[in-house]
Amino acid sequence: MRVNYQTNVTPRLRVLSEDQIEQIVYEAMDVLQQTGTRVYEEEALTLLRGAGCVIDGENLVHIPAWLIEASIQSAPSRVLLGGRDREKRIALEKNRIYFGTGSDCPFLTDPCTSERRRYTKEDIYRAAKITEALPQIDFHMSLGLTSDVPVGTYDRHQLLAMLRGTTKPLVITAIDREGLADQLEMACAVVGGVDEWRKLPLFAVYVEPTSPLDNSREAVEKLLFAAEKNIPLIYTPCPICGATGPATMAGNLVQGLAECLAGLVISQLKRKGAAVIIGGVMSILDMTTTVLSYGAPELPLLSAAMTNIAQYLGLPVFSTAGCSDAKTFDQQAAIESTLSIAFAALSGANLIHDVGYLESGLNGSYDMLVMSNEIISGVKRILCGVPVDAEHLALEAIRRVGPGGHYLMDEHTMKHFRNEFWVPELLDRSNWDTWQSRGGKTLKMRVHDKVLDLIEHYAPPPIPEKTERELEKIVARADEAHRAEEVTQP
Amino acid sequence: MSDALLQLRNAVIDGRVKELEALTSAALSAGLTPKEILDNGLVQGMQVVGSEFKEGKKFVPEVLFSARAMQVSLNILKPLLAQTGTKMVGKVVIGTVKGDLHDIGKNLVGMMMEGAGFEVVDLGRDVAPEKFVEVVRRENADILALSALLTTTMRAMDQTIKMLKEANVRDAVKVMVGGAPVTADFALKIGADSYGSTAADAAEIAKKLIHAS
Repeated sequence: MRVNYQTNVTPRLRVLSEDQIEQIVYEAMDVLQQTGTRVYEEEALTLLRGAGCVIDGENLVHIPAWLIEASIQSAPSRVLLGGRDREKRIALEKNRIYFGTGSDCPFLTDPCTSERRRYTKEDIYRAAKITEALPQIDFHMSLGLTSDVPVGTYDRHQLLAMLRGTTKPLVITAIDREGLADQLEMACAVVGGVDEWRKLPLFAVYVEPTSPLDNSREAVEKLLFAAEKNIPLIYTPCPICGATGPATMAGNLVQGLAECLAGLVISQLKRKGAAVIIGGVMSILDMTTTVLSYGAPELPLLSAAMTNIAQYLGLPVFSTAGCSDAKTFDQQAAIESTLSIAFAALSGANLIHDVGYLESGLNGSYDMLVMSNEIISGVKRILCGVPVDAEHLALEAIRRVGPGGHYLMDEHTMKHFRNEFWVPELLDRSNWDTWQSRGGKTLKMRVHDKVLDLIEHYAPPPIPEKTERELEKIVARADEAHRAEEVTQP
Repeated sequence: MSDALLQLRNAVIDGRVKELEALTSAALSAGLTPKEILDNGLVQGMQVVGSEFKEGKKFVPEVLFSARAMQVSLNILKPLLAQTGTKMVGKVVIGTVKGDLHDIGKNLVGMMMEGAGFEVVDLGRDVAPEKFVEVVRRENADILALSALLTTTMRAMDQTIKMLKEANVRDAVKVMVGGAPVTADFALKIGADSYGSTAADAAEIAKKLIHAS
């Protein structure tokens, strides 16, 4: 018998050691206790004061370490989300990876005219439809920010467009507490009531503290509502190294973690056991252009490190990949997307978002999304690792074929090649003549063909008519309430 | 160029903030006029910084330290320049519009403008249109610079410009807008005078607006 034998089923990636993680966690606690964090919301301040936090002036909160530890303890390490199709379920637990889009980019490149223009509700629907059709995209965020509906109710319109386009789980944004309440009502109409929602929520809500260490009234109001109503909460910052966070990676992790933990503490004070997902968009300020870089190698590095930390704390993690600083869908976009997708997948992050972002998060690109689907698929092949057992070691086949033979028609090949080999859909491996005879199309052209085909021909399963009417009613009610506020659209 | 001016110029280029106070005093003691110090020392230093930034030899934090260094010297020179009737480049009122708490872009623009010799009145973030109007009037500002990061808060730029009109101060001030979701088209649509797509652009545009008026 073979002894002391270890298997490595999947390749592994680890950025931080356990000692390094512990140090970062302790320093984040130090920041919250000593420097403090600003909270601009009365109910949260009352909760924090009541729990033993020191509050300097009106809103600078100093959180003791024990309260942070207790909050980490009471928050769930596993969160479930299920789409309009209740079978499309994702379990955010240690080392289970899911990819999805990002939300609220102001611009897109028109798929027909190639003009850079602002998103419309129809574009939001199309983005959701594309997600629905792509097997590697597990959850959906709006990708764009619609500009052709009332500003004060854009979030309800976007949710409706997303629900029409996809049956997969969603991550939403909300303009305020009221917008979140309306969207919860819409979701309950879809899933069949509050109890069904509690069993399997349809969406998580994305809420952002403002780095460094600020929690706006609007953000905290949404956080409190989410905690109260069993809405899984993504409370994650975008600390930019050298601008809104320290220039050093470790310092940025300390601050970013402190920002997540502040939200975690408030949510657990509101309702023990409320689901909170930590993480964030962590990258650098490009010191030449002052752009928050979505393609910098520091982004995948920081994101993987943050995932290491979240896993140590036993909290689900919201990570970032599949995004780029390129202005258009080009070679740079492909390089940057591949790098971050591979790293995020290896790190084992749960909700890996922003797939499809171009222009440093200003352009939500269908082409980038479709290509990234292929990248994710290829990366997942690598993640399957190398199974090593008698069947896979293939000694019998090697003996059978022997020196000078070939494996093309061996039964072992027939049995395994389909499972062992990844087959690309858009990447081209044909030779020159074949490629030429098929029109000599570049990857960019092939991807765009697929985008146009999906837009034109793909039909997502419709929302039942009765539900659709209920949803429209909620949206119309919100529009009516906000009619007076309308001003020039951008 | 005198030694004192050369030292000032180099200190600005290197962003040696702590040295500027002593160097400025020394230059004044050596008999140089405030205007000479400004034009032939500080501004020349910042011009070098500006062109090295454009060439990719200097990076944003270095430019900001240079701007800060210049500011230290200017604080000493300002009252003296005022006595002789020499004007600063211009006065800018800047802020992030109502509803928006994101101020890193606004801070960058403000610092770049200071580096270009502007007097900058920074109102911070989440600034109500009424507040902008009040301060533009009180400070007799040449330029009002509005920042927004969110598409949803861009409309506050529109509201602010409308309020400037209602208060009859729109014609007395040039309005610039900027921020990630803002475009030149949007600036035109809401009746702003100009739009800057980067912090460095904003300072250049501000100078042009002043010269044009």
